[in-house]
Amino acid sequence: MTRLTFALLSSLIGLLLLTLAQSSALLVTNEAPTPQPIAVDPATLHALHARYKSLTKQLIQLMPGQPYIVVDTARNHLYIKRRDRVMLDALASTGSGTILDKPGEAKGQWIFDTPRGEFIVQSKLINPVWVKPDWAFIEEGLAVPKSQADRIEPGVLGEYALGFGKGYFIHGTLYTRLLGKNVTHGCIRLNDEDLKSVYQLAKVGTPIMIF
Amino acid sequence: MYLLLAAPIFLLSFIVAGWAAEPDVVPRVDPNDAPALQEAVRLLEEEIKLAARPQTYIVIDLVDRAVLIKGRGAELHRFPIEQWSAAQLAEAQATFRLQKRPPVTRRKIEPAGAEQMPISLDDMPTEFTLLFSPSLTVDVHPSASENFWYWLKFKSRGWWEWLKGWSAILFTGHAPPSQPTIHLTVTSHHAQSLAWTVTEGMPFLLRRTSPSPPS
Repeated sequence: MTRLTFALLSSLIGLLLLTLAQSSALLVTNEAPTPQPIAVDPATLHALHARYKSLTKQLIQLMPGQPYIVVDTARNHLYIKRRDRVMLDALASTGSGTILDKPGEAKGQWIFDTPRGEFIVQSKLINPVWVKPDWAFIEEGLAVPKSQADRIEPGVLGEYALGFGKGYFIHGTLYTRLLGKNVTHGCIRLNDEDLKSVYQLAKVGTPIMIF
Repeated sequence: MYLLLAAPIFLLSFIVAGWAAEPDVVPRVDPNDAPALQEAVRLLEEEIKLAARPQTYIVIDLVDRAVLIKGRGAELHRFPIEQWSAAQLAEAQATFRLQKRPPVTRRKIEPAGAEQMPISLDDMPTEFTLLFSPSLTVDVHPSASENFWYWLKFKSRGWWEWLKGWSAILFTGHAPPSQPTIHLTVTSHHAQSLAWTVTEGMPFLLRRTSPSPPS
């Protein structure tokens, strides 16, 4: 019993010493280093500052000058921003992240993610119709139709749609109670009012940044 | 008459204020702090290259203790770093590309089956390691108050690395080669948020605290 207590106490002291040794920056840099005073001649300092200002200006010039769309897929929000100012904050629905096997393909799968990165508005549509892709039929356990006409489903995408490539759209929804959740097959859904604002504010070429 | 004169002045003041208000895209740096300026210049040079292309990227700002998600120089989202520590930080001065995003279990839809639950932030890990090319390791974990076992696991790993390092010094006389490593303590929610956001190949930049003095 005494030996066990001794062993436990030794281990605890050992761990404590290790923690202290580590935090004394033997191997790991501490989280709040003390700035070291460095003698730098004024000309070097001036040149550095000028370079810093010039680069800052260059970075600002790369920022979108016109309104741009930001989509936060984790929290399901769509923003329209101009510089740092938020012009619109809309509750959205984005990709569910679920997967569906492609029939007849051993390793083929659809992954229902909203794509991340930077895109641009490629098209603006009024009263869009949904041309149902293969996965929509397979998901419902239906046969994929041969005729294009059998794929068309009007009235489910709202009054407007903004395409941003590879079949992805910002569009409306009948399921407004699901806004704020990750439920889509990759498209971005909005309610009618926000969709109208986005349609009015965005142009073909407007950047869409999705993270 | 006064009203007619005042109106244009009032409008002009608004326009001037608009011009003056430059967006806060870069952190403020003390113009007399040469190492901080040098680091800011290095970071800006790297960021301009990234911002020139259509992509999102992440800046781990160890000075202001924040993780920033950015695109075209604009800040899209940020969250705070509670604590951090690092090794071989001096060597970490490139644009780092993420090799692989943290794993997530995706649910499979069965055709005509019951509706499948989507993945959400809650499905993302709260403790994970990000590996980059060129060599950089970022360990992300929640604080001890949030998840004691994760914290203990992380600390144990640190102790083990430390012991290995000292053993090597004792037996061989010199320290083993090590790569830049950063340990970030964030809230569970923010760890999940980071795991959600990152994608394979995503560029990361690092703003360090104590760079070498300008030559």
